[in-house]
Amino acid sequence: MPTLDVSKKDFEKLFKEKVSISRLEELLEYVKGELDGQDGDSLKVECKETNRPDLWSTEGLVREILARTGKEKGIKKYVVKKGNIEVFINENLQKVRPLIACAVVKDVKIDDDFIVQMVQLQEKVGETFGRKRRETGIGLYDLDIMTPPVYYKGFKDDEIEFIPLDWKVPMRPSEILSQHEKGKAYKHLLDNSKLFPIVIDSKNVVASMPPIINSQITGKVTNKTKNLFIEVTGFNWTNIEIALEVMCMALADRGGKIFSCKINFPKQNFYPSKSIITPEFKTKKISFDKSLIEKKTGLKLNDSKIKQLLENARYNISIKGNMLSAEFPAYRKDIFHAVDVIEDLLISYGFNNIVPQKIKMSVVGSQRKEVLYADFVRDGCIGLGLQEVLTFNLTSKEIQSEKILLNDEFVEIVNPVSTSYQIMRKRLFPQLLSFLSKNKNQEYPQKIFEIGSCLDLDSNEENGVKQSNNLCVVLTHTNTNFTEIKSVLVSLCDYLGLSLELKKSEFAFLGENSATIIVNGKKGFIGELKIGVAQNFGLNKPVTLFEIEL
Amino acid sequence: MIEEIKQLSDIERILILKINNSKQSFSDFSNSSFSIDSVRRAAGWLAKKEFAEIIKTESEKYFLSIKGEQALERGMPEVILLNKLKELGGETSFKELQSSSGLDFKEFSIALGINKKNAFVIISSGKISLTGVDNDSPLTDLSLVLKKVKGDEKISQNDLSELLDRGLVEKKTFVDRKIRILQKGIDAQKILLEKKIDRVFDVESVVPKILIGKKSPYVQFLNQIRSNLVAHGFEEMYSPLIVSEFYNFDVLFQSQNHPARTLSDSYQLKQPSKGKLPNKKIVDAIRAAHETGGKAKSSGWGYKWSEEIASRLVPAMHGTAHSARKLVEGIESPKKYFSIARCFRPDVLDATHLLEFNQMEGFVVGENLDFRHLLGMLKDFAIEIAGAEKVKFFPDYYPFTEPSVQLSAKHPELGWVEFAGAGMFRPEMLENLGVKGEAIAWGIGIDRLAMFKLGIKDIRYLFAEDLGYLRNAKGVLL
Repeated sequence: MPTLDVSKKDFEKLFKEKVSISRLEELLEYVKGELDGQDGDSLKVECKETNRPDLWSTEGLVREILARTGKEKGIKKYVVKKGNIEVFINENLQKVRPLIACAVVKDVKIDDDFIVQMVQLQEKVGETFGRKRRETGIGLYDLDIMTPPVYYKGFKDDEIEFIPLDWKVPMRPSEILSQHEKGKAYKHLLDNSKLFPIVIDSKNVVASMPPIINSQITGKVTNKTKNLFIEVTGFNWTNIEIALEVMCMALADRGGKIFSCKINFPKQNFYPSKSIITPEFKTKKISFDKSLIEKKTGLKLNDSKIKQLLENARYNISIKGNMLSAEFPAYRKDIFHAVDVIEDLLISYGFNNIVPQKIKMSVVGSQRKEVLYADFVRDGCIGLGLQEVLTFNLTSKEIQSEKILLNDEFVEIVNPVSTSYQIMRKRLFPQLLSFLSKNKNQEYPQKIFEIGSCLDLDSNEENGVKQSNNLCVVLTHTNTNFTEIKSVLVSLCDYLGLSLELKKSEFAFLGENSATIIVNGKKGFIGELKIGVAQNFGLNKPVTLFEIEL
Repeated sequence: MIEEIKQLSDIERILILKINNSKQSFSDFSNSSFSIDSVRRAAGWLAKKEFAEIIKTESEKYFLSIKGEQALERGMPEVILLNKLKELGGETSFKELQSSSGLDFKEFSIALGINKKNAFVIISSGKISLTGVDNDSPLTDLSLVLKKVKGDEKISQNDLSELLDRGLVEKKTFVDRKIRILQKGIDAQKILLEKKIDRVFDVESVVPKILIGKKSPYVQFLNQIRSNLVAHGFEEMYSPLIVSEFYNFDVLFQSQNHPARTLSDSYQLKQPSKGKLPNKKIVDAIRAAHETGGKAKSSGWGYKWSEEIASRLVPAMHGTAHSARKLVEGIESPKKYFSIARCFRPDVLDATHLLEFNQMEGFVVGENLDFRHLLGMLKDFAIEIAGAEKVKFFPDYYPFTEPSVQLSAKHPELGWVEFAGAGMFRPEMLENLGVKGEAIAWGIGIDRLAMFKLGIKDIRYLFAEDLGYLRNAKGVLL
């Protein structure tokens, strides 16, 4: 979910109205936005619309809010003048990064707010919408330094070098990927490629190596820049078109004039035509029976109200009979279905203007049997004077394996936050020993229990694991011994009405007085903890325990 | 006097009758029914009330330290060093000698110093060599002295201070307590022997606290929330810890290239890594939802959906994964479902974040449900479960619901808090899984509510590692 830096003054300038903070918070509800912080004029706005890159700038927020508040309505028209710049895609990029869409925006007045917003929008669109630049990489250039036409072509490492942004000497692509900060961050996007995509002009001046880095010469936008060349590269035409339009709209909202570019495709089946003009600012239409609105929302609205609410959400609406047709900009990739349009209608209507209704449904509730049973066992345990403890499922191999002298396999995480939380517990007792090790200053005797899930690998199960609900009781004090722990187990089984069998056995972590227990056919163990194992947990009083599967 | 005697406890009375004018050890009075701890406590009380006095004498004792025990077993470090040097041919480097002697650096330094002082070895140009002096005047073997210490025999002051310096012997101080009767006690003895005096309790005095067996406060809280939902007609769903991404994401219409599905935002499993998907009909329905919208009048995401990605296993990241499973396995309608599910997210463990936490969520399914019912249900939850005074709704986003809502509740003490998220399950899910009617999905942030009800500021106390906290925690009643 993108968090945006917004200048309040800049917002007010674009919105053409001064707003208080509380008013601003209300307005942000229209864009699923929330004020996440304020430091003087600088605001942090969290935008929950993860599929709407058009909103991720001050310009975008204001564009939407202008319509929601009735200051504008319907799809915003952007004039695209026919430009004279041609871009040629080389056939050698088809397997590398085959698509590019471009535009020119002239007469932009670049100030600090502008630069902050452009960098931010480029960043958010490239990172969040563009899946960390894989789907869309965006470049902005000073058009007046470039000499069109522009070529988008793959070069081998030894065929090209240029000075990347914030660098002083020319570098080869491989050097950029291994040494430059951005190169290192995004080098996986060009892994396994012998060709590096390059945007280069007719005088062989390199503009950039998408989607990694611009060149220092043309790829630096400053407050002296007047005319911008924009390119977006990627794999999917819809996505790069959206990114390009989002950038152009924001620039045009600040007074820039948009000019189109002609993209010439190579003669390969992969490409749909010989050429295409970008940006297109296409629209899409979705039609549905307007009765769906009442069915989904419970609101009885007449046609003009429906029309008004949806125009406030920047749709162009026509209603013929029962059919409603909603036209929307093609960059609204979040609209899959009529329900998406209906949500926009509800947001215009205002959620808090709707009267909530009680659900009348005669149904019977119930708890899961395992949960009820666990609580039954829990009652028995507290009757025995035991204190319930809750520990995490996520734990370490050290606790679950090394310290208890067992070599074992666990459900294991690829990307743990730390080795302390690398595996899922297989047994409860090591977690309880770890708990006791942190409470040696507390009064003895210490008598604790836990009821919780444990995981073991099991390839027969649909999710690869056998999940059991275990009960573990641990006692520690100077005089605890096998008799004491056994009497806890026996009394508990008696209360629970369970049959119990004990057979003397050996366990790596239990001393001589230990046994396998079978409770209602399920296995467990009971005994006195080995002194060595207790010491591994820093425990210096005798410890007895049992663990069974419920 | 009589009043004071009346208040004496049984064990005080027993003890007062046994002591006399000579100094006596506590252990003289203890037996199977009168433990040494009871004697100690009774003696303390009698002394406080001036029936008797306690006389303390301190004594010192010497013990072998762990190192001392080792030296006794393996030999003194200086002897080990000298023997090792002889074994190695009488001359070697520091490093070689230390590693082969098995002594740690400190022991080795001391041992070398002793041998040097006695001129048994000399050090020149980084080598240690024997001088042969030890053949004429061998060293006193201190291990004999160690043996004496262990046997509690007397040793010379010189030896003692050397052994203490070297950390081979440790000094411990013991305090011995003896009890002797005072005049007031003698008077009391007479009265107690003469007639029976019933005990009178001081009703205001402090009594010992009993450590009772208790449930974890968090479990108690969750159980009551659970009962509350059941009372409202909700049926509990199965919520396993490990699920396939199919349930965690795909059924929920979350596209496979969504950033939430990358390693930085979600856990992935090393083992087991792949699960089994349900039957082909279901898998194809979900594939269609993603690729073309399937049976729903939807555009779908328009990409090629992969079974491989869907079958990856993950620790459940949100409770909605279990609603997804329920929808796949088949539901009744109308019906209300819920789960209280353990969820996992890579995060930093601190006072406000847990790596694993509980989510309470579910859905209500039936014909003739609309957005107003969704708002109504959330409002009921906020008022009945959280005790909210006022509620406010905000537009929200979830990949699997449209429309989506967030509810903020005004709590009398906490002020406005984000309490619940909800929405109507997307038609891409319901229609492709053959669910008729509408389904209202909801989730409630119960951990925050639990913290409030339990009166804790640090979320880690839900899984408290502090036995003292658990023992002192009050019972929870919603």
